[in-house]
Amino acid sequence: MTETWIVILGLAAGTFLIRLSGVLIGQRIPQHGAWARGLRALPGCLIVSLVAVSLLSGGTREWGAGALALAVACLTRNLPLTMAAGIAAIWVLRHFS
Amino acid sequence: MSQSAPDEAWAGAREIAPLAVGVAIYGLAFGLLAAQAGFGPLALGTMGATVFAGGAQIIATQQVLAGAGAAAAIVAGLALNLRLLLVAASIRDVYAGRRWWQVALGAHLTTDENWALMLAQRAKGRAVGYWYLVGGGACLLLVWCLATVTGVAFAQALPEPKSLGMDFAFTAAFIAIARSLWKGRRDLLPWLTAIGIVALATHGLGLAPAWGLVLGGVAGAAMAGVVGRD
Repeated sequence: MTETWIVILGLAAGTFLIRLSGVLIGQRIPQHGAWARGLRALPGCLIVSLVAVSLLSGGTREWGAGALALAVACLTRNLPLTMAAGIAAIWVLRHFS
Repeated sequence: MSQSAPDEAWAGAREIAPLAVGVAIYGLAFGLLAAQAGFGPLALGTMGATVFAGGAQIIATQQVLAGAGAAAAIVAGLALNLRLLLVAASIRDVYAGRRWWQVALGAHLTTDENWALMLAQRAKGRAVGYWYLVGGGACLLLVWCLATVTGVAFAQALPEPKSLGMDFAFTAAFIAIARSLWKGRRDLLPWLTAIGIVALATHGLGLAPAWGLVLGGVAGAAMAGVVGRD
């Protein structure tokens, strides 16, 4: 019981400090030059990394569903539709292949 | 053209709905896991509202369940959350010039999902910012707490999300958002760098996914900073 609350408190305090540090560090990075260019590119690179981590931890079925989701994303640029296509594809691939 | 703060927050809360469905399903699944680790509804609701980082909560709970101790559980969870430092830093204009309580609130409500959605809307040319992020974050916090508490309370009656393919919901969402962030050939080298470093870190060096993610993001941004031109 106590361990539970220690974990909650530690995670809550640590996570808030991480988020706040991000805000404060972002404010201090120069507005121009290489640092600013890197910071502008950061969101896209993080999102692509998230996708890479997720797909690399899966197998050929995940890659197939990922490829289909990418095709739907490129054709429609629609978020809910891409999610639905990805979920449907992985479900079909896992059940029938 | 910018909206009033309540309108923008409401738009953020409404438009996060497809992602909130995914969060709800994850929350139910996490509630199941937490029940096995001995968490009650009160503890899990408090955890959801104060930590508000699903992946970190799941990893920490798995460590508790494995008997690794509180310190190891906290370290594992925080390692996964290091990316939130980069996430928050990357949208500095959102917090610039805000009062201290707005900075604290905005920082706490910043997650992968509402951050990415806000960026995708900006890529479409919409003038969304702080209140859009806060509205989406508040909606996600409510959904996350309700879902995790429901999951822990009804742990016996729920199906496994993987059997429904719902574990793929966020991967598909982030693929869609990456597409909307693509601005042309100058993104190619940074993005390939990020993917290559993730593969090297997680498969080549055997690092935990959390480290691969942070290293990939930083390496891609560094490539853009060093090689790119304004």
